[in-house]
Amino acid sequence: MMVADTLLQIREVTKRFGGLAALKDVSFDVTVGEIKAMIGPNGAGKTTMFDVLTGILHPTAGDVMLKGESIVGLRPDQITAMGMIRTFQTIQLFEGMTALENVMVGCHCRTACGFASSGLRQPAARREEKDIREKSMDVLKDVGLATRAGEIGTNLPYGQQRMLELARALASEPDIILLDEPAAGLNQYETGELAGLLVRFRERGLTILIVEHDMGLVMQISDEIVVLDYGEIIARGAPQDVQNDPRVIEAYLGIEA
Amino acid sequence: MDKQLARLPDAESRNYRTLAISTAFILLIPVWARFIPGDVLHIDIVNVMVLAGIYACVVVGLNLLVGYAGQISLGHAAFFGIGAYTTAILCTRIHGFPTWLGVLAGTALSGAIGWLVGKPVLRLKGHYLAMATLGLGEIAFILFQQLKWLTGGTVGILNIPPLSMFGLKFDTDLKLYFVVWIIVMALMLLSINLIRSRVGRGLRALHSSEVAADAMGVNTSTYKVQVFVLSAAFAGLGGALFAHFQKYVNPESFVLAISIMFITMVVVGGMGNIWGGLIGVLLLTFLPPVIQALPQWLPGLPSGLQNFSNYELVLYGLLLILFMMFLPKGVADGLGRAADFTEVRARRLGDRRKAKRLEGR
Amino acid sequence: MRMGDRNQVRLLWGAAALVAVVVVFTLIYKGSTGLQWILSGLTVGSIYALVAMGFSVIYSSTRVINFAQGEFTMLGGMMMFTLCTRGGLPLWLGFLLTVGIVTLLGAGFERAAIHPLKDQSVITVIIVTIGLAIFIRALAKWIWGTDPVKVASFTGDKPLRFFGASIVPQSLWVFGLTLIAVVLVFAFFNRTLLGKGMRAAADNPDAASLVGVSASTSSLVAWSIAAAVGAAAGAVIAPINFAAYDAGAMLGLKGFSAAVLGGLGSAPGAVVGGLMLGVLEMITAGFAPSGYKDAVAFLILILVLLIRPQGLLGKPADVKV
Ligand SMILES: Nc1ncnc2c1ncn2[C@@H]1O[C@H](COP(=O)(O)OP(=O)(O)OP(=O)(O)O)[C@@H](O)[C@H]1O
Ligand SMILES: [Mg+2]
Repeated sequence: MMVADTLLQIREVTKRFGGLAALKDVSFDVTVGEIKAMIGPNGAGKTTMFDVLTGILHPTAGDVMLKGESIVGLRPDQITAMGMIRTFQTIQLFEGMTALENVMVGCHCRTACGFASSGLRQPAARREEKDIREKSMDVLKDVGLATRAGEIGTNLPYGQQRMLELARALASEPDIILLDEPAAGLNQYETGELAGLLVRFRERGLTILIVEHDMGLVMQISDEIVVLDYGEIIARGAPQDVQNDPRVIEAYLGIEA
Repeated sequence: MDKQLARLPDAESRNYRTLAISTAFILLIPVWARFIPGDVLHIDIVNVMVLAGIYACVVVGLNLLVGYAGQISLGHAAFFGIGAYTTAILCTRIHGFPTWLGVLAGTALSGAIGWLVGKPVLRLKGHYLAMATLGLGEIAFILFQQLKWLTGGTVGILNIPPLSMFGLKFDTDLKLYFVVWIIVMALMLLSINLIRSRVGRGLRALHSSEVAADAMGVNTSTYKVQVFVLSAAFAGLGGALFAHFQKYVNPESFVLAISIMFITMVVVGGMGNIWGGLIGVLLLTFLPPVIQALPQWLPGLPSGLQNFSNYELVLYGLLLILFMMFLPKGVADGLGRAADFTEVRARRLGDRRKAKRLEGR
Repeated sequence: MRMGDRNQVRLLWGAAALVAVVVVFTLIYKGSTGLQWILSGLTVGSIYALVAMGFSVIYSSTRVINFAQGEFTMLGGMMMFTLCTRGGLPLWLGFLLTVGIVTLLGAGFERAAIHPLKDQSVITVIIVTIGLAIFIRALAKWIWGTDPVKVASFTGDKPLRFFGASIVPQSLWVFGLTLIAVVLVFAFFNRTLLGKGMRAAADNPDAASLVGVSASTSSLVAWSIAAAVGAAAGAVIAPINFAAYDAGAMLGLKGFSAAVLGGLGSAPGAVVGGLMLGVLEMITAGFAPSGYKDAVAFLILILVLLIRPQGLLGKPADVKV
């Protein structure tokens, strides 16, 4: 039985690359409205988990349920349409597109006009195009990039590129967003802005699963933390508990201490 | 509307304006071409332009596939051929078969076959896709040659009737010229609409990164097949017009070299630039007749150079290499940069004048 | 990747069994005529193997598909004609000169046109090599004309009898040369410092500087080897097939189908693919209208790409985000 407010259920997910098991029997849930963090040292399998969740990779074993439905085997775009979207660890903005256009691509799964109506520029297509533009502009404003709308996305400063990726994902009107190291490469000020933004989005009802190496950020915003090491969960719980867990310190925080 | 939104550069309306101007210009070519006596240029402009228009149908579609969606095809001569043979067979075997219907049938069949082969083949990427499409093109060529009962083998199909529609018969180059170029401009309009739309963004996104496009909700596998079908249909349309223009078809017109010519037109003009494709078509279609006419323009050439057609291919190969080395983004990009450069210079000049004026006050 | 290896072995045996069945069937059904087809198939297959090896060497070192590979082979034949048949040079000298000159051409082209393209897209590089192919073909047409030329056999034309079939001595030269070329290329990539460095650099471009072989050197060497192998193939096959300015295109396409069949980038794959393709092609030509012969290569090409893009012996391409 699904708990009423469980949005994402990860059930004994295993992912092997040849002989290497990048994920071993990983299970955890994400509840509606929470900010959950997934942390772990380099190579722990965090990005692999995101790839499995978003349909880019298929799990070797296990199941993933979004809103109570299994999404294993679905295409990435179908999963996005169901309300789960991600950002990338290495920025993947679309080349040659303006910031606004990048965000407009994010609207893809909430719009419908295909080859025929777009090619013939039918009224429905024009209307939809106008809506897409306006909505995308609103999203850009939300992350503070409105003044950069007309610039080529990949030409923006690094911090703004990260924000643009976030905006592009938000444009798909997700229920849950998976952020892969969104603060990587941001300076302290930008990280602070990001934290504020994420908390604000959560207040609006967005659920967030975040992978992040910046422990300050993780401790500050997350409700619960899952710690991966060598593809296995070694600890989970509230930030303070995890922070003090000896296994975590050994596997992960210990490196920094 | 939003102020910031309104201020964004409006590439859209610029494209439509360019389309209107170039349509007017191209449709007027036959008019002024009349005033140039044939023995001055030694080129039958209208005839070459009809051929260019036919190639343009293919190249506009191929540019959507290669330039926008980033999927290479080295086998588009096959679709060109399918369009040509379809209408040729229908119009010569079935007495009184409407030629325009033959053209439509060629377009549709080409698109349908594009769907059939596109679905499996477009799972491949990069070099592998290039090789697979090349192989498909070669197989089509072999079938054109070998299915003698259908295609007439190496001899092909002769006596194809001229195109006729609405009771009009387009039996001269000049008449066909207008049909062909109006069709080209319609295809251009369709393409411009498309690339500025949701679909166009999806295609460009998948070109840039398939994984990211997928993750952002673009159904890339379907888009790839759809744009492939569209480009196959455009190529089929071009091929069908070609059959009625040339009045015969044989496999020679659909060899690998023609596929390569199409892709070259896209690349020389500028991948992912709808105007570039058109420029590429014009440049490369006029290249052979110009080379052939050169000795007549320059009578002083040494006699050994008289038979210029021998050098045509040498030059062609060399141009391909040089273009790719020095203008890899195509002529259109080069022109665009030149235009930007002059614009910036002009604006700077204007600013300086303004500054002076202000100072003077 | 243990699993992969085992699958690969199984697949290889499967493919070998399939070809064996076809061969045995042909032999039983057609007797010595069938044997004749198979011998011709092996001969032409050796050439495909060498052309395929050219593709593979360049591809595995630089990720470039050289569409002019077949033209090197064409040039090999034409130069043998000029140097030996026309020019009267002794065979060995003509052969060495041919290979040497074409190698220089290949290296020269790499420096002039491929090297400057470092960061260009796949399609740009493809077009440049297509441009080279057209250019070489046109020059050859200009120099040698359009008529095919007959190159004298290395050691006479008296056929040897072999179980009721006959084989020209030149075929033995083809087999011998293929063997030598394969061994030399293999030795280069596995025994010499430069070759081993090139392989390491190709496997891991980031480590290229560690092994001391730059991408630039790799590319130059790969092009030289590919040109040399191609020219040698052309020189030795010319007495069997007439040499003509436009033979390169088809040879290139066949060689490249063979490379894909064997596994693009794998040298043993090139040999396996070439021989299999040659034999299947000749058997098809025997049973079906000869016009369909060329379709075999392309059907195989497409089927392999769809079912197993890495070919029989290639490494599976890893999907990267
Ligand atoms: N496509 C792949 N093929 C083979 N191995 C892979 C592949 N993708 C990831 N791996 C391996 O799986 C393991 C987990 O990688 P992953 O990228 O998920 O780590 P991560 O936790 O995101 O690390 P980081 O903090 O460095 O981003 C690593 O050992 C990696 O080398
Ligand atoms: Mg990661």
